[in-house]
Amino acid sequence: MHYDLIIIGMGLSGLMAAKTAVEAGKKVLIIGKGLGCLTLFSNTIDVLGIPLLAGPETTRLRDGLSQWIYDHPEHPYGKVGVEKIEEALSSFNSLFPPPYTFQSRNETNSLIPTGVGTFRPTYLIPSTMMRGIALKEKKTLLIGFKGYKDFYSQRLADSFECRGATLSLPESPSTEITATALARWMEQPSFREFIGTEVKKQIRDEELIGVPAVLGVNDPMGVRKDLEKKIGASVFEIPILPPSIPGMRIFNRFKERLIRRGVTFLIGHPVSKVTLNEKRCEGIEIAHPPVTTSYSADHYILATGRFMGGGLEADRERILEPIFNLPVFQPGSQEDWFGRFFFDKHPIHRMGILTDSSLHPIDERGKPILENVWVAGTILAGHHYLDEKSREGIEIATGYWSAKKAMEG
Amino acid sequence: MKLQTEILIIGGGATGAGILRDLSLRGIPSLLIEKGDFLSGASGRNHGLFHSGGRYVVSDPEAARECIAENRILRKIAPHCIEETDGFFVSLPEDGPDFRDRFIQACKDANVPAHLLSRDEALSLEPGLTPTLLSAVKVPDGAIDPFELVLSNAKDAETYGGKFLLHTGVTSLLMEENKVKTVLAKDLLHGEEYQIEASHIINATGAWADEFLKLAGLRVAMALSKGSMLITNQRLTHRVINRCRPPSDGDIIVPNHTVSILGTTSVRLEDAENFEVTPQEVSRLIRETSRMIPAIEEARFIRAYAGIRPLFQSEEKGDDRAISRGFVLIDHGKKDGIKNLITITGGKLVTYRLMAEKTSDLLCQKMGIHAPCSTHLKPLPGAGKLSGLKDRLKTLGKSETLCDCELVRKEEVEEVLKEGKLKNLQDILHRTRLAKGTCQGGFCVYRLLGILNESGLAEGDSNNILKGFLEERWKGIRPILWGSAVKEEELMEGIYKGLFNL
Repeated sequence: MHYDLIIIGMGLSGLMAAKTAVEAGKKVLIIGKGLGCLTLFSNTIDVLGIPLLAGPETTRLRDGLSQWIYDHPEHPYGKVGVEKIEEALSSFNSLFPPPYTFQSRNETNSLIPTGVGTFRPTYLIPSTMMRGIALKEKKTLLIGFKGYKDFYSQRLADSFECRGATLSLPESPSTEITATALARWMEQPSFREFIGTEVKKQIRDEELIGVPAVLGVNDPMGVRKDLEKKIGASVFEIPILPPSIPGMRIFNRFKERLIRRGVTFLIGHPVSKVTLNEKRCEGIEIAHPPVTTSYSADHYILATGRFMGGGLEADRERILEPIFNLPVFQPGSQEDWFGRFFFDKHPIHRMGILTDSSLHPIDERGKPILENVWVAGTILAGHHYLDEKSREGIEIATGYWSAKKAMEG
Repeated sequence: MKLQTEILIIGGGATGAGILRDLSLRGIPSLLIEKGDFLSGASGRNHGLFHSGGRYVVSDPEAARECIAENRILRKIAPHCIEETDGFFVSLPEDGPDFRDRFIQACKDANVPAHLLSRDEALSLEPGLTPTLLSAVKVPDGAIDPFELVLSNAKDAETYGGKFLLHTGVTSLLMEENKVKTVLAKDLLHGEEYQIEASHIINATGAWADEFLKLAGLRVAMALSKGSMLITNQRLTHRVINRCRPPSDGDIIVPNHTVSILGTTSVRLEDAENFEVTPQEVSRLIRETSRMIPAIEEARFIRAYAGIRPLFQSEEKGDDRAISRGFVLIDHGKKDGIKNLITITGGKLVTYRLMAEKTSDLLCQKMGIHAPCSTHLKPLPGAGKLSGLKDRLKTLGKSETLCDCELVRKEEVEEVLKEGKLKNLQDILHRTRLAKGTCQGGFCVYRLLGILNESGLAEGDSNNILKGFLEERWKGIRPILWGSAVKEEELMEGIYKGLFNL
């Protein structure tokens, strides 16, 4: 089968690239060996959470980004530029019309409460989490569930100086409850009826009710509205340990919209081979034994993520890119990959694929390697997405930009 | 606070806990103090080999004889701490048959049962072995759980009136003519100070023996030898696999519950507190052990760690491996004129009971009382219970599983918490299998802190404790970060640095 564009990788950057290309009328195939890291970590959209942009009442993100790009021209944001980053974020936002939207407060970062009792600076916040920003100003009750081991309301309440309670749930098939099970139950009116009644018993004079981010996958705002009606107070979600239910919402929305527009999804099989001819990729193969299928396209985007996604692999000496065998920017030897302390800024995170300003992979001398391949997402070199709190921003911006550039090229 | 006891034992390793139990069974009032938790030194940082003595038959026959005698006793008194796996001494082409033949003869002489297996017999029992091996000699090695062993000793000692204070370190000794009059000690977590008076004091501080004796103005020649080990994420063999050659780096693979431990190295150290596993040691361990089990080249590792062997040095020798692994019992009354002080050091985990027996015998002799030892006859508490993976699987689904890697249930942790006396996070981790599996506590310690808070047992800022744990964990993870371990680390950093912004 021949496509205009084949995207390898089904994380946020790959999905953004697919959206951008299909909206321009292109025939798109997106391949993922798994569901991508979206469903593990992403809740809100982090763009740049550096100290300058860490609190409310601070610099507008746009100004902070401009300064950042000025100071870090080699950062992936430097290749895209502020204007296009904003375009990319609006394009992402267009997928989420009310009631479940992603918004910033006054175009600055906000601090949202997390499942470990800290605050994290983030930019676009889904409607179900927005009210968490007010946790410090309003009286808040945090609700956990007995048997759900990844959210401890009492411990969080201590950190946030509010009150916590743990609800016992009606007879469940197992004593152990997962986030996905809770999210499914939340979508049942009878379960919400029960939760609403129980929370009401616990509530004193609190105006805000904080719950782990499990308010259903399909209609979180409907779930919240119903709960609020029963409880009589505002409800907000708090990001928790993986898996991420809000991440699943993002993934599902992309998948549903993109399939409707004609994007072909291929989930569950890794690319087993790529055929290169001079400076072009001519096709890829996917082995799903006993069958091997070949696909080709005019353009390819590599958006396979870092180590967890399988975009990068480390043996005992080197870091490799397994699909195109692109050179990986990696100064120093294995001993230098990580710092002495866990909370150090580890050099390994800056390593990745070097590109020119159109996100074409280049070699150490700056020469383009493959003319019809572009690279997007966290696999790119030159960022510290965890320390910068820039994961989703990099994915959205470079996913968008790589597709734009591929369509020009 | 003033405390009085007949016997004061310094050090909560296998030796100290063994002495506390031995004396308590003899009815002699004893107190043990330990500056950390039980097993903070070499007892908790070794490869868990339940020695048959085979490892020492050629180089140190006396230590080998002690090992096999104790091996037989411990199988009876501590079956719940031991997995009876047997061990192979594998000869590779480059080792040749000469050392093997000497080895078999030496086993005979030391009374260690040894049975020669052909290449094919060995491979049919351990298919992971390299097909190029010449032969293997089977000996009664096994795997031992040092934590269960030491904690059972302490528990039984308590039943018979023995007392202990953990996280309590000696600060100084008040001397009077020819004896130690008072031991000054301090609770290192809460600051309480103790003045302890005892008729006799036993220095069972292992690698810290010399440091302790300095407080009394004495010295003992100790060689501190670092041994580093690597843990794989799955069990590679059923049996203990040794290399049949003179002891050297990377010649042992010990199965331990669901994992295997590769050891060891031998590096001379000056300082018993600050040491780490070096990249060179990691490479050497993988290179050497993979000659016996080729799959080690591709194995996933979950942690690297090091321990210090406290070796008693009777005379200067070149190689630390040449120093006897036998133990030393010093009566400082005879040697230095301090009549109420004894040092016991050196030895092996497997000979801890014998060391305790000899120390207690010497004490009884000095005190002029007749009270025979019974630790070789009386089983440890828990000897009837099973603790393997099969039992864990049976309980699955009956209660919340806190640790998905090692199937540790919430109830199990709550049991440990009920016993009380636990002062910090590491104390809890020592007493359960939390943080011992593939993610090394990345998920379960977060949950543990939640439970501690719910039960009102949390002390201090939970996030500082969490950060401290992550840094401690990092020491063992950093040396093995390649392959899939890097993915796991990206997950952990994604959670704690990214998502939670700690």
